[in-house]
Amino acid sequence: MKNIKRNIALLLVLVFSLTLIAGCGDPDKKGGDTTGNGGSKGVKDPTTVAEEDKFGGVLKIALSSTPKNLDPILYTGVYESNIISNVCDTIVNYSQDLSEIVPNLATEWTSNEAGTEYTFKLRNDVYFQKGKYQDGRQMTAEDIKYSLERSAKESSLNRLGMLEKIEVINEFEVKAYLNEPNAAFLTALTDAGNSIIPKEEVEGHGDKFGFNLAGTGPFALEEFKIDQEAILKRNDKYWAQKPYLDGITFKFITDRNQMTNALRTREIDIATDLGGESVKIVKDDKNLKLQEVPGLHVAYLYMNLMEGPTADKKVREAIIRAVDIDEMVKGIYQYDEAQRAYLALPPGSWGYDESLEDLVPSYDPELAKKLLKEAGYEDGFSLNIYTSDAPARVKMATILQGYLKENLNIDLKINTAEWGTFSEIASKGKADIYGMSWTWYPDPFFFLNKMFHSSEIGALGNGQGFNNPEVDKLLDDALKITDQEERAKLYKEALKIITESYARIDYSNEKVIYGFSPAVEGFQMRADQKKIFVSEDINVWLND
Amino acid sequence: MLKTIFKRLLQLIPILFLVSTIIFVITRMIPGDPAATMLGPQAPVDAVEQLREELGLNKSIGEQYLIYLKDIIKGDFGRSYQYGQSVTSLLFERFPNTLLLSIVSLFLALIIGIPIGIISATKHYSIFDYVSMIIALIGVSMPIFWLGLMLVLIFSVNLQWLPSIGMGSLQNGLWDFISHLILPSVALATIPAATFARVTRSSMLDVVKEDYIKSLRSKGIKEKSVIWKHALKNALPPIVTVIGLQTSSLLSGAILTETIFSWPGLGRLIVDAIQNRDYMLIQGAVLLIAFIFVFINLIVDITYLYINPKINYDGKGGDK
Repeated sequence: MKNIKRNIALLLVLVFSLTLIAGCGDPDKKGGDTTGNGGSKGVKDPTTVAEEDKFGGVLKIALSSTPKNLDPILYTGVYESNIISNVCDTIVNYSQDLSEIVPNLATEWTSNEAGTEYTFKLRNDVYFQKGKYQDGRQMTAEDIKYSLERSAKESSLNRLGMLEKIEVINEFEVKAYLNEPNAAFLTALTDAGNSIIPKEEVEGHGDKFGFNLAGTGPFALEEFKIDQEAILKRNDKYWAQKPYLDGITFKFITDRNQMTNALRTREIDIATDLGGESVKIVKDDKNLKLQEVPGLHVAYLYMNLMEGPTADKKVREAIIRAVDIDEMVKGIYQYDEAQRAYLALPPGSWGYDESLEDLVPSYDPELAKKLLKEAGYEDGFSLNIYTSDAPARVKMATILQGYLKENLNIDLKINTAEWGTFSEIASKGKADIYGMSWTWYPDPFFFLNKMFHSSEIGALGNGQGFNNPEVDKLLDDALKITDQEERAKLYKEALKIITESYARIDYSNEKVIYGFSPAVEGFQMRADQKKIFVSEDINVWLND
Repeated sequence: MLKTIFKRLLQLIPILFLVSTIIFVITRMIPGDPAATMLGPQAPVDAVEQLREELGLNKSIGEQYLIYLKDIIKGDFGRSYQYGQSVTSLLFERFPNTLLLSIVSLFLALIIGIPIGIISATKHYSIFDYVSMIIALIGVSMPIFWLGLMLVLIFSVNLQWLPSIGMGSLQNGLWDFISHLILPSVALATIPAATFARVTRSSMLDVVKEDYIKSLRSKGIKEKSVIWKHALKNALPPIVTVIGLQTSSLLSGAILTETIFSWPGLGRLIVDAIQNRDYMLIQGAVLLIAFIFVFINLIVDITYLYINPKINYDGKGGDK
């Protein structure tokens, strides 16, 4: 009797467990309409929707990290800028394809011959969102002066260090004076950190300005709940055009699986920063859309140029030739989340030069062995690689370890650490090799100067000690002229020397991949990850 | 009894002092410069240096420690580097969320676990006993994050009954509030519920074998009254111990659960603070949790005194 009962019990438990396991299955295969009160059924052909029907709805977008402080000069993460740039405007912007700087609050600008003075003409139809300390007054030249000088003096990331002062010429015209010629000035002005904000609100709210951010952008900040969400409401008086959306809610979801789940349940409309298996899940779900663009991103291995065996150029060439980079990239990014890289600049930057790709040593294990022998390390040696503990970096290090052992008998010891620890080791030049990635503006200055100028030795960008006076000079010169084509020429020259020095393995350009519910219409993805919902040319709406 | 409670409260002081010192030392031992970590890879060197100075990181460790102690005594936990807000206000904004999740989970675990344990004990070797004990065994050995993910897949993604992330708000109606609470609290309640069921069952089984229960039954007292009134009361001490232990571990479970469900509680705040080397926030949060831990233990001890007056913490007389 006891046994029968026990068996029945086991059977019941088995059924219970199976139900649980069934939950892991692919929901699409269950048929029916399980995945979507949203789904594609509510979506109309976007071309037939009447203009007035496009208005309404709150779009929910997930960010993969928690923004901490929305005061433009105090933010230090990446994710804050996504919110700030929808609430505030900068005086200039990068065009959608990132090839040039275009007007925004400023309609036109000129610079003097020396590149030390810039004069901006401003729009005269721009108003601030109403706040506690001002009632939606007009934005004037005084606000540009206040906001930019505040950033120049107090920005925690020193985003506008090149600016000396701003002079108000008249109500809608200002002149900016730089400390020295700096062609990256206009690019710096596109950063959300240099947004134009009303003085009354900044001073009125003091420390709490981040929670009460106000600007001239398409949406006004209604509430910012740390760790949860930022709620934005339409600004009816937005100067470019009236936003279709009633509002945007930025939700902070740090885990990719959670984010994809939330997209499938329609708790969010856009999932950002997809990678790994989440790419496949979204791709396979016929109720969702996946979009990608190549990012302004380079992932690389930087070899120590100051000490150890890698200080020898022959050893570095041997290491580069010992690794089949194409295969490595396929191994790291199983879901095609990146393309193979060649140079220290991403292809999306206007300083990129395809003809330099041939200068990168190709995979040739035999030649690699020979080079190592010539360098006097016939029997191999051991090296330490440091990376962050992000899965893509750990995978990369493991694959690299295999190649170096097999082709050169180099024992690679993998050291992973979370970001804080890693960055300290890497920036102090303590690593034989370190693996990380760089992503910033399209202006080559923000890649090449930061990673190869000798003045950056000791910072994370140039932790391995790249020091070449010729490169320094080219990079310095490129800052002194304002013509973009002329600058590109100098950067390409510098990039050539850099590529020929075999200092690094630039192995991948990760893509920017987002998942969308089918209701989202009119959103354009950008390589710089700026999330623009309304501008002069864009007006995102919800088709449901 | 009051004297005992007072004594125990006094003991809190050295414990918390020790904890605060340990936290200070440990946070300083984690490698990584908070200023550099906070400002990110692209920070100019001078900006990092300036922030180090602002944060007082240039001072010697001894000096930093003295400042830290002095501030704590004043009840000032400093400002969080990354949020630019006082640690106290950040903690008190978040703590109620963790408390809500923990209390609801504890309540769920109690109303599910204890009755199951009692029924299993009274219907010893029945199907109910087998099924519930095997499920309880699975329950105690289930990793919370796995269970959480399964719950989301079944009830949010597949069935679309419940939201998968975040916390609801009463402003959006009662259902919004409750629906967001269901999955995380069920996930968090599973291990304690299973533990309660197992402990209650075994403790009850011990008690019902005692002679006085037999004599109660032989007196013709109703079975219901025998079990729920007499037996349960005597089976309580081990159950209370386990409730105390589980309540403390609910806090650590809450950290995982909050991460899985994007619940804006203390857990997520701490994980984030550690990743960003936000010294002040780590210190404040860990101290708060240590305090809660010690406090729960105190309550458990006091509860003992209440349910079994024979226990005497002073060691004078009684059977300790």
